[in-house]
Amino acid sequence: MADASDYWNPRNETLPREDLAALQLLKLRRLCSWAQARSQFHRRRWEQARFDPGQLRTLDDLRRIPFMSREDWMAAQMEQPPFGTLPTVSPSLAIRYHLTSGTTGRTPLRVLDGTKDWEWIAEMWAYGLWGFGVRPHDVVLFAFSYGTFIGFWGAHYACEKIGCLVLPSGGATTEARVKTILDMNVTTVCSTPTYALRMWQAASEMGIDLARESRVDKVIVSGEPAGSIPAVKRQLEAAWGAKVGDTAGMTEIGTIMIFECAKQPGGTHIIEDNFIEETLEHDGDRPVPYGERAERVVTSFGRGFIPLVRYRTKDLVVKVPHSACGCGRTGDIYQGGIQGRWDDMKLIRGTNVYPRAVESIVRECAAVDEFQILITRDRLQDEIAVLIELKPGRSDHWPDLHRRLCRDLADAHEGLRFNVAQAEANSLPRFELKAKRLVDKRPVAEY
Amino acid sequence: MTVTPADLLGRPIPETDARLLRVYQELKALAAQPGLPPCTDRNVRRALACMWQVVNDLDLEFEQLYDLGV
Repeated sequence: MADASDYWNPRNETLPREDLAALQLLKLRRLCSWAQARSQFHRRRWEQARFDPGQLRTLDDLRRIPFMSREDWMAAQMEQPPFGTLPTVSPSLAIRYHLTSGTTGRTPLRVLDGTKDWEWIAEMWAYGLWGFGVRPHDVVLFAFSYGTFIGFWGAHYACEKIGCLVLPSGGATTEARVKTILDMNVTTVCSTPTYALRMWQAASEMGIDLARESRVDKVIVSGEPAGSIPAVKRQLEAAWGAKVGDTAGMTEIGTIMIFECAKQPGGTHIIEDNFIEETLEHDGDRPVPYGERAERVVTSFGRGFIPLVRYRTKDLVVKVPHSACGCGRTGDIYQGGIQGRWDDMKLIRGTNVYPRAVESIVRECAAVDEFQILITRDRLQDEIAVLIELKPGRSDHWPDLHRRLCRDLADAHEGLRFNVAQAEANSLPRFELKAKRLVDKRPVAEY
Repeated sequence: MTVTPADLLGRPIPETDARLLRVYQELKALAAQPGLPPCTDRNVRRALACMWQVVNDLDLEFEQLYDLGV
């Protein structure tokens, strides 16, 4: 009976929007009262901003709360090491410790979870995994290193909760993972999009056609914006012969806040009974209407240990109404998932370049195995190159591919010239977790 | 006078939800009880952390449990 439900939580995933707003306001009041009473970090900042949780009469009053940034959190951590002034209770009550990956910051943030928080982290993943079609009969392989990076930890426990057979593969080689997928009749694989491609390449080199020979029918990806890039998704779906579902989360909240449902509407639903996701102008406080590019600002209800209230993520998103999907969920949608980061943008000779936009074009070419974006400065002029590694046996595609990439990249970037060059086989780095395909070698200006 | 149980939004709740809420409250009471052996004490807290997800998912309760060590 339960297995037939399309929703993990039918009540809240289909809650009318006005009830959803009422629920968010109630949780916000309680969370803020808790944070004010117990977190030195929040109490001090809210006093300075003259905010009191009693002022929260409507959801619009959320805007009275000052924003919180990664830098604020880091400063609090430095002020009172090792965990800072954000925790609401003694660190001795925590059962888990994780670190941010350090993608955009110099020093990782240290995060703590209590028993209830850790269960909640799995619960949020359960919303997403169930919503994409994971069921108790599934055999799920986690191609994940199981370290301090939070990655798929919550997904692992969510699959146990759902009742799946869970196969961890922390220390395994890529080849061993491929073999396990076949030997254990794996139906679902969880990894980054980059690593899902890597596993498929390794399988091909082993003479294995995963689409034909494996039972995998779902690949759940997370950790990179690529999971919602149509060209990457098409390539992965063809390679694996499986549906590819995107999810996105962050260490700061410990879990996912968005997921792609089985209807695959070209975007990811927000889990709005557990998060408030504001979409604001980048670095400003003006709400951005549906359909426009915005920065996401998150308030998370699940983690009372380290309450995250109006946290500026720098994630670039485009929110559209829930009605854009026919699945019946009332949670709004981020079209194309997380589309990148506002601080990913590079300015090259006056033109904005986003790595995700480059990847979207490069991945349209099926002959591309791996690529890297290289930015340099030649005297006073910035140069951007895209280095391309071709799949084995595809060298004769290069002249046409080169012409096509030069044209398409320029067309998408106001005529900006990209230097497209072929890289030797296996010369570019491969990634298991978050891929870093942009190398900026320009000297940093000193003033 | 009998008070009809309601959820966080003030909606009356069905009997199954009322039973779930009672289980949650009972686990809270047990978690606050001193002197339980480790096998009981820790598993009650673990069970309470799971039941918190249920009452949160069904909009029956939303509160923090850290003072109970959960």
